[in-house]
Amino acid sequence: MFVHIFSYRLKCLLRDKVTIFWTMLFPLLLATFFQLAFSNLTTGEKFKPVTIIVVDNAAWQKNNTFKRILEDVSTGKDRLFNFTVASEEEANRLLLDNKISGYIVADEPIRLVINKSGINQSIIKSFIDSYMQNYSTFERIVNEDPSKHKQLVDTAAIRQTFIHETDFPGGEPNYIVNYFYTLIAMTCFYGGFMGMREINDIQANISPAAARVNVAPIHKLKAFLSSSAASLLVQYSEMLILFAYLKFILNVGFGNRIGLIFLTTFIGSIAGLSFGAFISALFKKSEGAKTGILILSTMVCSFLAGMMQLSIKYIISQKAPLLSWINPLNLLTDAFYCLYYYDTLSRYMLNMTILLAFILLFCSVTYFIIRRRKYASL
Amino acid sequence: MIIKVKDLVKRYGDLLALDHLSFSIKEGEIFGLLGPNGSGKTTAINCILSLLEYDKGEIEIFGMPMSPDAYKIKRDIGIVMQNVAVYDELTVYGNIDYFCGLYITDKALRKKLVEEAIEFVGLDDFRKFYPKKLSGGLLRRLNIACGIAHKPKLLILDEPTVAVDPQSRNKILEGIQKLNEQGVTVIYTSHYMEEVEQICTRIMILDKGRTIATGTKDELKAMITLGEKITIESFGISEQQIAGIKKLPGIVSVEYKENRLVIKSDKGRNNLETVLDFIKHEKIQFGKIFSELPTLNDVFLEITGKELRD
Repeated sequence: MFVHIFSYRLKCLLRDKVTIFWTMLFPLLLATFFQLAFSNLTTGEKFKPVTIIVVDNAAWQKNNTFKRILEDVSTGKDRLFNFTVASEEEANRLLLDNKISGYIVADEPIRLVINKSGINQSIIKSFIDSYMQNYSTFERIVNEDPSKHKQLVDTAAIRQTFIHETDFPGGEPNYIVNYFYTLIAMTCFYGGFMGMREINDIQANISPAAARVNVAPIHKLKAFLSSSAASLLVQYSEMLILFAYLKFILNVGFGNRIGLIFLTTFIGSIAGLSFGAFISALFKKSEGAKTGILILSTMVCSFLAGMMQLSIKYIISQKAPLLSWINPLNLLTDAFYCLYYYDTLSRYMLNMTILLAFILLFCSVTYFIIRRRKYASL
Repeated sequence: MIIKVKDLVKRYGDLLALDHLSFSIKEGEIFGLLGPNGSGKTTAINCILSLLEYDKGEIEIFGMPMSPDAYKIKRDIGIVMQNVAVYDELTVYGNIDYFCGLYITDKALRKKLVEEAIEFVGLDDFRKFYPKKLSGGLLRRLNIACGIAHKPKLLILDEPTVAVDPQSRNKILEGIQKLNEQGVTVIYTSHYMEEVEQICTRIMILDKGRTIATGTKDELKAMITLGEKITIESFGISEQQIAGIKKLPGIVSVEYKENRLVIKSDKGRNNLETVLDFIKHEKIQFGKIFSELPTLNDVFLEITGKELRD
């Protein structure tokens, strides 16, 4: 009987174009849209070394300290500048052609020549200011007490680091992934459409087909569980398709804990289905009204989890932390976030424990409502 | 007895939907539940099927008390709902197979039964069609096939011919009679008295959740005083002549409206000849004349004072 109901429910779900659109195609479209919208944002945030020229004159040739420091900050992968030495005429020409952000004349005092304002120009200016400030401090101390010269050099050489560096499980930090995580969470909860249908098709007071199932010689709960298993299979398969699309086509980072990611997606799928069933069982409204409630609640929870604006998630977690703990979509989003960013699983475990408690709540309420074997009215 | 209902009471808030309803159905009957919309037919069916809670009463099917988990009883019941109960995503074959599979686990047997059901309702050419592609009549036939495929001993049909074309209606009614001939006991609810008269071996008339009368169609008609209704298309008849007809022996009432003279007479007498003699004698001009025996609507009208389709 399980196989019979399961296989027919699978056929029904796979042929239900509306549900397939909302639970699979819509999230794929939304993910593509996110990628288009955020790809520029992430590109813009990558720091590129500032291209500058130092004018080749006598002062530059003599100022070994400045030369050494500038060379120091212009080497390596995370260098600040790409600098070359050229004549002032050449520097002027390149500046006017916008080939360089500015040029430095290492006179006394050091001058910066730019032809427009911007981030790059501010960076060059900050560097020169910082150099001049430190240089002047050192100079004054040494002039006042030459005996402190060695101590000063030793102190300057000490770099005390107060941060312990660890490897990210997911590689480079990227807050944009949170948008995709909220999308996954939303898709899990769009599985609620299927959960809702499961209830509609088992409650005789909602649909005639359900009444037919109710008069058949089969336990209602068995029928419900058999068809729900098919819904879970469809929902989880859709989630895996979305996951594969995000990971392999859009290159969204998920970290390396693949097993836990699959488990989280699976639990998320159960949460979505049970949420839909819960809404359907709880509200004695028309199918359209229930669908409206499901969409509205999912969208509100997605919004609060930072789907439309990431800062909302942080505002909620700071100003109303309880709201983030009672938002199942936020728990799911945060669980993915934890798997990506944190090297420990404590916060992830807390998220999943609360999410499981929600599933238990949804299932219990649904069970107590649908266990009813007779209806007051049909 | 296939079904025994005793003292069934069902309330929807202040509304008394079933008022101490009692009846029993014997094996092999086509038992008609006739009544206007809202008379309690569907409520009674839903209570019998243990879908609805009821306030009072006892229901036995196949000699056993009916309950939601009485699977032994449910196995031998087929149900055809008032609303078409199928899945849009499954084909005709798929729908019948799915619902049959809730009763029959043996795959080979199920296949045979599904084929028989398809043939029985005449949907062989439409087996791969999805419900949305079917006409109203074909959809009703599919609804019936889903209810009968597992070969139930008791078949309950709740208004199965609503919004059905005459061809499909006849096919459905013939099918029900055929099933009955094969030994299936049938409960048939309808507000179409012609259908109930045509196929039911025993009829219970319901109104406001109460039994008005129960019996065969002849027994029911025998309960009322009306024997014959004569309708004459007539042009220009005086009040005096109408009064003259009223005085004829056996005449109960005479009405003249829109050139139609409706004369109702006692039963047991054929008054057509007397009336015709009077018309000839009075030289009243007339067109068509026809005589009708009482219908179930007349039974309902005489007992309740209102038409069945009011």
